[in-house]
Amino acid sequence: MTAGDPLDGPDAPTVDITAEMRAAARALASLPESSSGQMTSDLSIDEELVLHSIGWEPVALVSGVSIHSVPRGVWNWGQGEIAYASAAYARSFAHATQRIEEQCTRTGGHGVVGVRVEWSVDRHHVDVALTGTAVRPVGATGTGRDPVFASDLSGRDFALLHNAGWAPLGLAARASFVYAPRRSMGATMKQSGQNVELTNFTEAMYAAREAAMERMQASAIALGGSGVVEVKVTEGPMEFAHHAVCFTAYGTVVRLVAGEHRHPGARMILPMDDPAPAFDASSLRGG
Amino acid sequence: MTVSAESSGDLPEAAVRRLGEGAFTSGLTVPDFAACLQMGLEPVGFTQGYCVMNWRFSISAPYGVGFNGQRRPRGYSETFSCPHGMVGGEHRIWGQNYEQAWVEDAWTTGFTTAYGRMLEEAASAGAHGVVGVIDSSGPLAELGVVEFRVQGTAVRVIDGAPPFRDKPWSTYLAGQRLAKLVEAGYAPVAVVASVASVSVWASCVTQYLSEGSNSLYGGTTPGAEITQVVQAQTMARQIATRRARDQLGPDSLHGATMTTTPRPRGEGDSEVECVLRGNRVRRFKGFDPTPPPRPTVRLL
Repeated sequence: MTAGDPLDGPDAPTVDITAEMRAAARALASLPESSSGQMTSDLSIDEELVLHSIGWEPVALVSGVSIHSVPRGVWNWGQGEIAYASAAYARSFAHATQRIEEQCTRTGGHGVVGVRVEWSVDRHHVDVALTGTAVRPVGATGTGRDPVFASDLSGRDFALLHNAGWAPLGLAARASFVYAPRRSMGATMKQSGQNVELTNFTEAMYAAREAAMERMQASAIALGGSGVVEVKVTEGPMEFAHHAVCFTAYGTVVRLVAGEHRHPGARMILPMDDPAPAFDASSLRGG
Repeated sequence: MTVSAESSGDLPEAAVRRLGEGAFTSGLTVPDFAACLQMGLEPVGFTQGYCVMNWRFSISAPYGVGFNGQRRPRGYSETFSCPHGMVGGEHRIWGQNYEQAWVEDAWTTGFTTAYGRMLEEAASAGAHGVVGVIDSSGPLAELGVVEFRVQGTAVRVIDGAPPFRDKPWSTYLAGQRLAKLVEAGYAPVAVVASVASVSVWASCVTQYLSEGSNSLYGGTTPGAEITQVVQAQTMARQIATRRARDQLGPDSLHGATMTTTPRPRGEGDSEVECVLRGNRVRRFKGFDPTPPPRPTVRLL
């Protein structure tokens, strides 16, 4: 390959990693010098390097928790939506998000990336816990111009979004819990022993989905976003109440902040490290 | 490699013999091994530390529990009062969140002892550091006993300076991740692990809300937030983070993992344990802005 060949990638900066390791060992051979301050982060080194490449840095590990009660009896068979459970999910998510954003502000961060979302729905309570790393532009002090955001995008995705001219605004999350209505005696008799669609469950699932997605979209619009990326959905009957179906959806609200979308200009690569075909010993035995 | 008698500490005799046998052992994968050699790190030996602790959780009483005088509250404690007053014998007229110092002390003792033994083994073998550290803990049979295990590959920096006071540095990272850390200007100092355990002795309101029931005496709103449990979980996270920060000195914590485990005990009572692990790192050179990486798309 000649210099300037289009297949030749940009020259990687030459780093003598052995010399760097010796320099690191020298730094560890004595007491530490005073530092500008501690940083805590749950980002990987890859994510941190990518963040640095767009001029951002991690500040502190932050978290927010909220648990809301679900009154007894709401899971008993009924009709329509189980409003208490849907509201408990929405409120738990909103409070946990508010708390992680407040903690981010206190630590001097301008936003939280890589938020790990842990949630569970129990018969009597809905738990939401968010953990992530507060980040800010390198060297920034005080609060930013824009409101603090929480995002479940990884450091890599945040950097890609940033380079493309978009910004995360926050998390949007909603759920809907709906009763699957009882079938009439006649319908039950008619359907028994047949492979037929149980429309009561299908309709309940659709009702839950439409309600959850619509609310999530509405909360994204309320945040001033033009869309939601990386939406994660779950659906299915509740473990402790099979006649109730649940649909949950959450994702990161984004908005275009540059004049126009910037194409990231990805280069196509053709990996040449195919895995070697596995050796099958049984073929030797004529099997 | 040789292990001198004075450097072997209280290592078992077999360990001293094994470490001095001339061939190295390593828990590294082949790519990690190759990356270490590229960095000028020479594997010295696969080192381990173990500690088996007798393990008793508290019973559900807020203060002064236990029979050995060690189970006294320390640190975080918060009272949640009942809005109803004395309305019946079964009524919980107050609730308490309190830090379970005896659980935290036992965990910390188990971890630091196992970790210290691993470092001692590494130091005896003349290592400068331990990479690819893995730690775990779990019950040993059903004896009320918990085993702490810490292991990693001891390495020496070829032509490198020995660590401060000959105490090996350590990191959960190995291979290319470690190389990138060093390239980014961070030196690995030590693995950091901290724990916080908070018990919830439920107030009447917490009990009602956790069971989804309504109080006959008012004072609870159906669907309200269970603030006592939220506060316990929040404090467990904050205490674990503060403890990790206390171990950092002027350094930073990198690649942290926070694991929170709530354990319900019935009637609204529960306890929550938060464990925070990560790599303590020290910046040894100025910040070099990394050039933006070029996005790629794989064609396969």
